[in-house]
Amino acid sequence: MKVSFFETVRYQAPQALPSEWPVPSGIYDREAGSRAYQDMIERLEYVEELGFDWVSVSEHHYSPRILTPSPVVSAAFIAARLKRIKIALLGPIVPQSNPVRVAEELAMLDTMAQGRLVVGLLRGTSNESLTYDLNPAEARERTDEGMEVILKAWTEPQPFGWQGRHFQYRTISIWPRPLQQPHPPTFALGTSRESCEFAARHHLGCGVSYGSFESVGRATRYYREQCALHGWQPSPDQIVYRANMLLADTDDEAQDQLRKLPGQAPFSMRPAVRDAMMKVDARNIAGEARSPIVSGALPTTFVGGPDTVVEQVRRCKEVVGAGVLDLSLHPPGSRDVEALLRSIELFGKKVLPRIRDI
Amino acid sequence: MEAGAGVPLVHLHGAGGLRITPAHELLTRSYRVIAFEMPGFGNSPENTRTQTMPELASTMGWAIQKLGLDSFNLMGTSFGGKTALWLALQSPQSVHALVLEAPAAIRQPGAASPAGTPEEIARLLYAHPERLGSIPLPDPAVRAKTQPLVRRLRGPDRDAELEARMQELPTPTLVLFGTLDRVIAPAMGRVYKDLLPSCHLVFVYDAGHGISIDRPEAFTEVVTDFLERREAFVISRTETVIHP
Repeated sequence: MKVSFFETVRYQAPQALPSEWPVPSGIYDREAGSRAYQDMIERLEYVEELGFDWVSVSEHHYSPRILTPSPVVSAAFIAARLKRIKIALLGPIVPQSNPVRVAEELAMLDTMAQGRLVVGLLRGTSNESLTYDLNPAEARERTDEGMEVILKAWTEPQPFGWQGRHFQYRTISIWPRPLQQPHPPTFALGTSRESCEFAARHHLGCGVSYGSFESVGRATRYYREQCALHGWQPSPDQIVYRANMLLADTDDEAQDQLRKLPGQAPFSMRPAVRDAMMKVDARNIAGEARSPIVSGALPTTFVGGPDTVVEQVRRCKEVVGAGVLDLSLHPPGSRDVEALLRSIELFGKKVLPRIRDI
Repeated sequence: MEAGAGVPLVHLHGAGGLRITPAHELLTRSYRVIAFEMPGFGNSPENTRTQTMPELASTMGWAIQKLGLDSFNLMGTSFGGKTALWLALQSPQSVHALVLEAPAAIRQPGAASPAGTPEEIARLLYAHPERLGSIPLPDPAVRAKTQPLVRRLRGPDRDAELEARMQELPTPTLVLFGTLDRVIAPAMGRVYKDLLPSCHLVFVYDAGHGISIDRPEAFTEVVTDFLERREAFVISRTETVIHP
């Protein structure tokens, strides 16, 4: 089992914050922000020292919960400061990006990070459609097409034009190309039928997140079936599962922490917006409809002391088939950085060495 | 078929014969479109005379001249793409610009011609066979008649003589491949780009081998823009003002 540390940047607000998304940017504290990015590097140096395989970053906007609106910028900053760990950019929100720009930036990053880049491409969570005025009804189609543009830009040796449905370019010919050939390890992220099929068709990895082992397991099973239809078999390394983990010295302590977690997402959309969004933002797990996660807290799928968590990881491997766990070791948005550091240490020393063979 | 007004655009069809598509109709808004049925295809008698692709190209050149066209734009689809390429090589002074839709002049090793029932062939040719609408599927009897001609003329997957001559073709050329082409590998597009001195390669997203059936609007937009502005078509004219 390989392990990725999901870095969300811990912004420690000096005052109470409103609970709605978007969070007014006027209450942003520059000192706290500056400290958050510096502390992130210190934390990641420790993560690297403990032997984690990847550090991952994601794209989220307009709130302090995950302070990486441009994951490429965070990835470049991290890549420059750390030496061995792989940088997993999971990932640019494709439907609201210029895919050629994404291909260029990722190729630059891979080259600057000397081939340490891992890429995840995705549609993004529901609220992100509000960031740059993306029509949620078009998000899926734009994601698929944008991903194709990115793959083509990385691999096509001659200048070419793209006559798409949502994107049109007369000339694409990127410099640099990625250091890793034909391109960095790339995952289509999401549990949807469309995402699994895209990954299978293009021989990409599949990334699932946050659901129970059983629900994300349905998606990874569908992905493997689709790969078989396309005549290939993914390796365990090509399935990544992002999840929350609450790890403590004992099971009781971990359960106690779990009880104290808030039941609501830290910054959710206004109810009227959320309700309207749910009508237009169709989501599914391997073809079966699910409601978009718009207000509830994300589930925590690993909870316990080291022994229990090791067993949960074993079960996860059986059910989900993931060879890479992308872990949030304390809920994103939590300001309790001390607790986070204790979890990192505990995981690195008491769990990581015992799950390598799983 | 002939329709529309303006600069002539001659179209040479693929191995399945002439099929009028929505793209033809869209092109007639800007061009005088002349879509030939080549000898031996459709309801014409079996063509046992033509032995090589350059011969077919010169026959077509003669037919075009008979219409009084001294200069024209030329478009070829798949098999007809190879015919069009030879015709442009034979009369470079007559051809303003060349459009090759999923051309079959350069093929991946072992590329096979589509075979099977008309429905199977349609599924192989098109990413969206449902968009054929009222366009009829190929008639197996007609197909049986034209197959010997197609087999004779399609030539080797890589034609050294043609490829050597392509390097001296000055005609501005647009090469189009659908990203879902299952007949000719879209990666062949880069060989045209390599060889032709003035070539633009464009991938049409979500289209199969029959691009003009699968994505007629996207196909027509890029073809029309290229024929109008040739190399300068790379300069965008798309307006992005939302509110004045």
